[in-house]
This record gives sequence, C-alpha cells and structure tokens, in this order.
Amino acid sequence: MIKLHRKRFKKPTKDYFLDPNRKEVAWELAPPFGIKSVLILVILSIVLTFSGKKVEVDKMLFMVSEAAVALVGLKDDSQVLDGAHKLISSMLPLQFSETREISRIENFDPEQIPRFTRIIEREISRSVVDPNTLQVSKSVSVTTELYHPFGYLIYVCKKMLETIEIAIWATLFALVISIPLAYFSASNYSPNKISYVVSRATVSFFRAVPELISAMFLVLAFGFGPIAGIMALAIHSAGFLGKFFAEDVENADKGAQRALEAIGVSKLLILRYAVLPQVLPQYVAYSLYILDRNIRMATVIGIVGAGGIGQELKGRYDMFEYGHVATILLMIFITVFILDQISSKIRKRIM
Amino acid sequence: MIEFQNISKAYDDGTLALQNVNFNVPKGEFCVLLGHSGAGKSTLLNLVSGLTFATSGNVQIDGKILTERSLKSLRKNVSMIHQNFNLALRSSVATNVMSGALSEVPFLQAITGWFPKSIRNKCCDLVAMVGLEQEHLHRRAYTLSGGQQQRVGIARSLILDPLIILADEPIASLDPIISRETLSILRNLAKIKGCTVLCSLHQVELAKDYADRIIGIEEGQVVFDLLPSEVDQQTLNLIYKNYDDPRGNEVWDQAKIKNVVKSLGHNKW
Repeated sequence: MIKLHRKRFKKPTKDYFLDPNRKEVAWELAPPFGIKSVLILVILSIVLTFSGKKVEVDKMLFMVSEAAVALVGLKDDSQVLDGAHKLISSMLPLQFSETREISRIENFDPEQIPRFTRIIEREISRSVVDPNTLQVSKSVSVTTELYHPFGYLIYVCKKMLETIEIAIWATLFALVISIPLAYFSASNYSPNKISYVVSRATVSFFRAVPELISAMFLVLAFGFGPIAGIMALAIHSAGFLGKFFAEDVENADKGAQRALEAIGVSKLLILRYAVLPQVLPQYVAYSLYILDRNIRMATVIGIVGAGGIGQELKGRYDMFEYGHVATILLMIFITVFILDQISSKIRKRIM
Repeated sequence: MIEFQNISKAYDDGTLALQNVNFNVPKGEFCVLLGHSGAGKSTLLNLVSGLTFATSGNVQIDGKILTERSLKSLRKNVSMIHQNFNLALRSSVATNVMSGALSEVPFLQAITGWFPKSIRNKCCDLVAMVGLEQEHLHRRAYTLSGGQQQRVGIARSLILDPLIILADEPIASLDPIISRETLSILRNLAKIKGCTVLCSLHQVELAKDYADRIIGIEEGQVVFDLLPSEVDQQTLNLIYKNYDDPRGNEVWDQAKIKNVVKSLGHNKW
C-alpha cells in the first residue's frame, strides 16, 4: 500500500512519538463548568427574583396572560384589553383633514380658494350664562370654515421632513465634531497623554448625556425649535461616533502603518494612507447607523419642544386628539421603515 | 555601505537581542541573514531602518553614523520590504506604490493625494518593472495574489531610488516559484541598479542560490560570515540545532505506521 522506504537513515536518539515505553503525562483538562458556575447561577436567580418583585414583573406577567386569556375568549374582562380597546377606538378614524375658520385666515378671498378645499358651514351650540340673570341659555352660532381633506396629512408630512432635516444636520455636525475627537482619543495617534485623556473624557461625557435631557436644557438656552434638537442630537451622536472611530483607528491592521513608519512618514499622513482606507467602510456604516438612529430620536426629542414632529405629537396628545396622534404615529412608522430600507441598501453597496 | 560597529541591543524587558555585532556590507551586495526565529535578524534590520536604536555601538550608513538626528536625512536612502507585504489593502496599487514617496511630497499634496507628475510617472515605470500590468494600477491591493502583492511592496520600496533595501523575510508566505522570482528581482536590484540589499531568510537552499554572502546569526551574535559556496551542513548546525538530524527527513515504512496506530489506540482520546 504505502511504500515510502527509500532512504537509509540514522536511528534518532529519542523518538517521543513512537516510543512504546512513553510515560503518560499527568496533565489534566478541567471540566468546562463546576460547582462554582452553579452557585453563581443560583445567586443570580435569587437576586433576579427580588428585583422582579420590586419592579412588578409578576404583575406584568399576570396582566399579559390575563389579556391573552381574554383575547381567546375564556375570560370576560381584562384591564389591558379594555385600555387597548379604548385607545384604538379613540384613535380611529385617522384624522387626515383640516378645518380652519375663515375669519381667522388673513386676506381670505372666497373666489380663489386653494385646491381640494371647500367651504363648509358648521353650527356650534354653546351654553352661555347671562351675567345679569344668571340663566343658562343655549346660543347657536354658525361659522364658515375652510375644509381641506388632506390638510393635516400634508402638515404632518412637512413636520416629518423637518424632523429628517434635523437628523441629517445633527449627523453632519456629529461627523465634523467626532473626526478630530477620534484622532485625539485614539491612544496610538493622540499627540500626548493630556490630549488623550481630555478627548476621551469629552467623548464619554457626550455619550453620557441622553438626547432628551440635553434637549430639555438646550431648549431653555436656544428657545423652542429645531436648533436645540440639532444640537442635542449632534452632541450625543458625536460621542458615539468619536468612540467608534477611535477604536477603529486603534484596532486597524498595523502592517501598512509599520511600512510607512519605516520610511519616516508623518503621523497624519500614515493616518491618511494606511488607516483611513481600511476603516472607511466601517466609518460609513457607523454614520449610516447614527443617521438612522438620529431620525428615530428626532421624532422623540420634539416632545420637550426641540422641533420636529414630536412637538406636534405632544401637543395633540395633551389635547386628547388621538385621531391626530394616530396619523402622526403612522407617519413616523412609514418614514422609519422607508429610511431603514434605504440605509440597508446603501450599506450593502458599500460593504 | 552599511557598517555595524560593535552593536548591542537590549529591549526594555531585558532580552538581549544583539551582542557585539560587527560587519560591513559593501555597495551592490546581496547579503542574506540566516538564523532561526528570534535570533535577532529583524532587530538588525530595524536598526538600519531607524525603527529602533542600538543600546551601544554604531550603525554607519554611507560613512555617516545613524542617530536620531541624522535619521531624517539618511532614511530616504533606506527602504524596507516586509514579510506580510504590509500594503494598505483597500487602496489601489498605484496609491500603495506612491505612498512610498510620501516623506518627500509636500504636505498639502500628500494629504489630498495629488502626487507630483514625476512620482506618478515613476510609479507606472516601477509597476511595469516588477512585472505587473497596466490594468493592475487601479486594482485594489487585496484583489492581487500574494506574489503580486509582494511585487507591489518591492515597487513601493524602490520609488525613492534607495541605496539600501532591507528585506525582512520577503518570501516567507510565497510559493517556491514566486519566491525565486522575488529573490531574482532583489538580486537584479543589487547587481544592475547597484542597491545594497540586506535580506533575512529562512530558506537555506534559496539563500545559497541567490546571495553574494551569507551571514549566520544565533543568539544575537554573528556565528559565520561566508560565501554561499562555503556554507555546508556543519556551518548550518551553528544556527539551526541538529540541522543534519534526519528526523525531519524521516521516511516511514509500513511497520512504523502500524506501530504508531497501535500506540494511538492505547490513548483515551
């Protein structure tokens, strides 16, 4: 079968592999887990039990299962289902139309009303108390209104566009801030120890402040509107991008860097020629993710008055106009879904 | 061209990498360093390229002592070829080759990637010289095979017309035929262009075929310094323990294989 014996050779002095009298070694491989791991698991489950009691996990589980049972029809009433039912019925139908009192529109010309709109008249009955007789009387007044069938939808779209613009500008500012921050907070490129520590601390601080909270304070400083939103988002995402970029620079393959180092190229140029080409796809992917995240967050920070659709949402919610709220929510969902698709397409093309 | 005068090098952790190394490589010589891994070959090369400095003793390049001060002026005469090619893999071949000239390009041009016309022409020249085609110029480096990548590495090291080329195991990851091609490029550089090539290798046979001179290094000391024809098994024993030990060349017969199988059968695994 195998005939390989061709060459005469000296017998080796010692052949560990073939030695029949070879002693068995006293090595041992420990089992993958033992009593210690079990103990840790037991302690962990005890801690979780106490913690769950505290944050009412048991109640949550009970209510959810009750709702599930009620949904199947085995039980008549469930608090959760009732709430959900009330909410959904108040949200429907979605509010797309918009009516405006004509008397409040400046320079209204009844000959030239905008497209799709029509003038309607509505009777509003009010109970009025006569201050002299203290008698309640009903008075009916007729107001003429301009009715637009998609007026509110268009308004929400405009607000959504503003939200997206806030997110894009915030991402741009974050990129501009984070690239120098990343340079200073990459341990192998930072000019000195102090700049490293300072920029690392800055990055951590930026990341530590949640957008919603910094937006609250920025609204106080800059007033209601998109400025506060842009700044809040930019600061927070600059913290994220700075950290990611710096770690990418630190972990980049050292080969090309060494090659340029050996011929005496300055650090900035090494970064440009040996590090940047390597990390660029990662950078783009991170930036897209941050943009994606900023769009979602931009819808939220409006709640504290920092512009965008969140401001509208908060206003309508406080006035119990759930039809409007439902329209906004639907719009947010559609936008995020579409942008998700677009960014994943872009990411695929780059990678 | 390169002169090592009483070089000793100790690293910070206390390992003594080189001890009293003394030799001189004249201009136009293809000198090969042999020695097992960790013997001090790479340290010797790094001393010339200025990546590390000797603890005691001097390295002279072209009659000038290499210090941190003179490094900047001497460095443009020295270039390095690496074991793992060390290319920027996502950049194009042209960018990789031209990046070898970065230290001589004005900063503003370098950072924007706008290399001077002379360097761009030279880059095309060199890529053709090392045996690549025009279509390779714009390919990204990772799309090339290992041999082609090493050629790009060689082209990059040549772009500033260096007097000295250091090669740190340039063929460690290449197949035998491409290894020979790479070594003959290096040899031609020494013979035709008059570069001084200092190259560390593990392949004894190839070293004998291509080198002008072979230096053996063991435990940070030069143990032999011979012409390729003078290198034999005895001398190689000085750097590789038991080089003539037949165990490496051992051929197994049927009986022996059976024995092994039997001994494996006793094992729990």
